[in-house]
Amino acid sequence: MTALSRGARALFLLGAAVFFGLPLLWLLLAPTRTADDLTTGSPLGFGALGNVGDAWSHLMSYNDGEITLWIGNSVIYAAASVVLALLLCVPAGYALAKHDFAGRRALLTLSIVTMILPPAALVLPLYLEMSAVGLTGTVWAVILPLSFYPFGVYLAFLHFQANLPDSLLDAGRVDGASELRLFWSVGLPLARPAIALIAFFGFVRCWTDFFLPFVMLSDDRTFTLQLGLMSLLQSTGAVNNSSGFADLDIHQSEAALAGLVACAPLMIGFVLAQRFLRTGLLAGAEKG
Amino acid sequence: MRTLSPPRPTTVAAAAPVAPRRHRRRGRSTAAVWILVSPYAVFLTVFGLAPAGYALWTSFVHDGSFSGLRNWAAVFDDYRLGEAAGNVTAYLLLWLPVLLLTVLSLAFTLHARPGRAAGALQLVYYLPGAVTGSAAALLWLFMVSPDSSPFGPLLRLLDVRTATDALSGGSLIAVLAVMGVAVHAGGWIVVLYGALTALPKDVLEAAQVDGASAWRTMWHVKLPMVRTYVAFVLISSFASGSQVFVEPTVLSTGAPGQISPTWSVNQLAYVYATQDGDFGKAAALSLAMLAVGLLAAWIVITRTRMYATDTTKAG
Repeated sequence: MTALSRGARALFLLGAAVFFGLPLLWLLLAPTRTADDLTTGSPLGFGALGNVGDAWSHLMSYNDGEITLWIGNSVIYAAASVVLALLLCVPAGYALAKHDFAGRRALLTLSIVTMILPPAALVLPLYLEMSAVGLTGTVWAVILPLSFYPFGVYLAFLHFQANLPDSLLDAGRVDGASELRLFWSVGLPLARPAIALIAFFGFVRCWTDFFLPFVMLSDDRTFTLQLGLMSLLQSTGAVNNSSGFADLDIHQSEAALAGLVACAPLMIGFVLAQRFLRTGLLAGAEKG
Repeated sequence: MRTLSPPRPTTVAAAAPVAPRRHRRRGRSTAAVWILVSPYAVFLTVFGLAPAGYALWTSFVHDGSFSGLRNWAAVFDDYRLGEAAGNVTAYLLLWLPVLLLTVLSLAFTLHARPGRAAGALQLVYYLPGAVTGSAAALLWLFMVSPDSSPFGPLLRLLDVRTATDALSGGSLIAVLAVMGVAVHAGGWIVVLYGALTALPKDVLEAAQVDGASAWRTMWHVKLPMVRTYVAFVLISSFASGSQVFVEPTVLSTGAPGQISPTWSVNQLAYVYATQDGDFGKAAALSLAMLAVGLLAAWIVITRTRMYATDTTKAG
């Protein structure tokens, strides 16, 4: 690579980093600033750390720190759905990529259909389904529908299709390995990158989903963080649909801090998934 | 019914001992395949197909009784649908090409030199997509207000003096498209970069030995190898773009009255369901959006042979 192209490459990547990074830098600084300073001060100014503490205690004052309960709920719901989704997606993606069976095309097509269907269209029927079996208001009404993850099946399908050659499986077959055994000892060890991606995107989906818990849960002690924050900010008027911009001034630092709290686990998940991806690739290289 | 593969010519010596074993394996493998896919198939039926079927039924029901195409006709007669469809089309035409270019160029440029820096940059690219709910409304409203935005100088350069300027007329589409790229590009960069790093090293090294330039390697070696992923990005992005909901809703939360609550088609469906309580019309419009997304998916899938297996590719 020549010095010029290396420079151009770095410039392009860093320019993009500024574009994608600036909004979050602003959000990171917002809780330190007062509402006045946000509108009149320098765009990336730093206020005082004390303001962050104040904003946090305001958030905590809502129903005796119910926010920590919501964080716990969200973690439990998301973890359960992600584990269940992985158990469903990885074997299915493997079979769809590596076996030609009756119904394969139907499964692939119907998965695309349910993936593309506007999610809101499914929420009411899902509610009726759950209330028919008496599960509304329970954690299962959130966990079970969210563990159906056609997007994850596609990630697994594409991964096995691109990275697991039939010759590798045939070699195992010659040795007399059963098909399930092949999945377990050839497919699964090669699935690490797909597992990391499905787990991460599945986690993001569960963590940020609003509609489904909104419809299924009614007791605020079972709320997810997203749902709880929405009810908190609405009841305190930080973001108000009807009066909008004017009211937004009142609790901006709290809204910004709440947003940061809500997206911190996604950052952690991202770093964990990347670490998992990297070690997986190293392990592959050692074997190869 | 599936047809069995044609019998191999007996002149091929190796075929004789292989054929009967293959045949047995098919029988056993069918059971194994169903063990692998049936848990997912059950969830697909219960949490995907059944609710979708119910939505389809709802679209033919009005006031509790079957009413044929009445809901569908009412939706397509709604004057707001034409406007919304126009907005969404303009948005897609601007957003989708920019998104694809951003995702492809950043993923390939990152992959030219994998490592820790590439990992950190991906996190940065992903950040805007992680901000949701009220924080997103707050964030983006400030981003488009020239006086308080870190992008202020750029906005003033584009002759945007106030947030109202940014959210009216033609610049609204541009603002939404930029916001849409910022929110959606990062996730796809991660997927595509992951696909690139999983590629077999020997093929890429062979291309380098051949003396192919970085550009030629990307265009003729890497891109064809991840074409199914690109197809997947295209299918999903087209669907999510044609169902754009969050971006216009978020902006109108911060600045009500400036953006119509039925700016996009999906927002119109939401208004049907929540304000009018008309689930029949909401379901009909949702299914119409599904049909558009499926048409695009079908075109992409048939053109890229996305469903091919090793066996069908060869045959």
